[in-house]
Amino acid sequence: MSRETPITSAGSLSRPAWRGWSLFAILAGWLILFVVLPTLILLVYSFFRGGNGEVEPAFTFANYAKCFRAPYPAVFGWSLAYAALTTALCALIGYPVAFYIGRSSPARRNRLLMLIMIPFATSFLIRTYAWMTLLSHDGLVMYLLRVTHLIPLIFPENLQLLYTNGSVLIVLVYSYLPFMILPIYGSVEKLDESLIEAAADLGAGPFRAFTGVIFPLTLPGVAAGALMVFVPAVAMFAVTTLMSGGNIRLIGDEIEFQCLEGGNLPFGSALGMILLAMFVLSFFLFMRRGAGAKADMMR
Amino acid sequence: MKIFRPLILLILPALAILGCDRSKSTAAAKSRLQLFAFSSYIPQEAIDGFTRETGIPIDYEVYPTNEAMLQKLSANPDHYDVIQPSDYMVEHLVARHMLAPLDPHQLPHLENILGEFRGLPFDPGNQFSVPYMAGTVGIVVNSDKIKAPIRGYKDVFQEKYKGRIVVVDDPREMVTWALETAGIPINDVTPQTLARVKPTLVEWVKLKNIYNSDDPKPPLLSDDRDLGVIYCGDAAALWQENHKFKYVLPAEGAHRFIDNLCIPAGSKHKAEAMAFIDYILRPEVSKMISDKFPYTNPNGAARKLLSKDQLDNPASYPPGSAKLEIFRAIGKASVDLQDMMSEIRHAD
Repeated sequence: MSRETPITSAGSLSRPAWRGWSLFAILAGWLILFVVLPTLILLVYSFFRGGNGEVEPAFTFANYAKCFRAPYPAVFGWSLAYAALTTALCALIGYPVAFYIGRSSPARRNRLLMLIMIPFATSFLIRTYAWMTLLSHDGLVMYLLRVTHLIPLIFPENLQLLYTNGSVLIVLVYSYLPFMILPIYGSVEKLDESLIEAAADLGAGPFRAFTGVIFPLTLPGVAAGALMVFVPAVAMFAVTTLMSGGNIRLIGDEIEFQCLEGGNLPFGSALGMILLAMFVLSFFLFMRRGAGAKADMMR
Repeated sequence: MKIFRPLILLILPALAILGCDRSKSTAAAKSRLQLFAFSSYIPQEAIDGFTRETGIPIDYEVYPTNEAMLQKLSANPDHYDVIQPSDYMVEHLVARHMLAPLDPHQLPHLENILGEFRGLPFDPGNQFSVPYMAGTVGIVVNSDKIKAPIRGYKDVFQEKYKGRIVVVDDPREMVTWALETAGIPINDVTPQTLARVKPTLVEWVKLKNIYNSDDPKPPLLSDDRDLGVIYCGDAAALWQENHKFKYVLPAEGAHRFIDNLCIPAGSKHKAEAMAFIDYILRPEVSKMISDKFPYTNPNGAARKLLSKDQLDNPASYPPGSAKLEIFRAIGKASVDLQDMMSEIRHAD
């Protein structure tokens, strides 16, 4: 498939060690400076005593103990639930879209992909505010519902779209949908046409060919998409408070509140460390299951 | 692509060297005033005006709450030159010896501050703080939608207004309203008083309120909400927009706040900081603040420059004599308070 790449890069790889290492050094330096070091600082802070805007150097497990007292376990639970629901909806909506794009002609495909990417040119927060104007009481959606008389007929007069759990979910799905579409598209595009033809030759109808051949082959794309949606969705903040009017506060919002407004950096750090531990754990579980599934398919 | 890689390798170290060089030279050459203040509270024109006049550039960094400010100031005690703490935070900072005493001789415009804003309990001698703006937290009512009389918190937090209320997103504020409702002094925050007001707060939180401190105006303007318990500056802006937004000081009593300008003890540019504070005290500069952020201006000379419409705004300058209370520092009790509010809000 990508037979061209090795040929063109072969010339520039005459001294691979030197170039490779220097590129790696930049990446490693970046990671150490902006990922590893800040995480270590958080780790240290999470053992300090804090609150009320003050930080006292100490060594206490009190912050971690507090993470396991009400309401925080429930907050973690709700964050996981919202992320799982977002992932499921993204997969449900994203799969047909990705499949359609992947099976279109190359020219059309690029145009459609552009459409998926264009929203990224605008800041994420601005897009969220755009949703707020759309869904507000005097916004476009409510206006259309009123002119079409759907509001007294089907929906109640006092219908509230913005500042509800639904509006939070809409924006979560909207924001993460491209991260589901792109990896699925990647695996749909790589589908081997001859396998589908073979399925048809062996008497499988379109449905059977999809469930038996196409879907299993695109599953790695779905898995990658799920990971790319679920992991950031768990730690999502700001959008949830904006869209729910502060009624839904997930773990990301709680960490932000404790670190900034609440003035309790040590407790916020402890919550962050637990979230990080959850990520690492779920990532490894995911990888192991992924590897298991691959081994199954080989067999 | 092939050209890019070596280029990047060349450029990155060059940038790093340039970066180091710049930070060194700016520190040595010109003193920049580090202003650390609440977000959307100081008009950019006022800041630019000071730089134009004195040649001193200002770095304006913002914070959302007093506690967030304290956290950063404690971590960098010698970085900031002018900060903007509220009343109770001034008291706390004075007790911790984190503020520099002000020199009245360098503040000739201090006399503009009205008597009622001087010598308040958080800084009795006005040794460390100069009032910037004051205000109250009160009730705003969309009188087109709400016909029933609204006099206090009890009238706002009713079952029939479920999903109609927007409130300031600050745990201590909501607890304060519950304390006022129960007739407890608002600075009497102990585990016992918190336990007493908890059932009230549980009921209030069930009403699907919107919580927003940064900008509670949009849901009221778009009719998504009809009632609010918000800062008077936002209520005044709503009134300017449409006189249907009435401001009511709660009958049970209201929280009054006074935000101040102070100089941290570790500031390296105290003379410049003093010049900035005096500049803000000038009537025409202070008027500029009132034009943009219609809180209660403590500057008597500036009030004389305000229009009749501005002075008639009931949210900025409420008529009558309501019961007003100022926050005092409550120390570790604030952690209990926050924990209780987190628990109540997540339980819903």
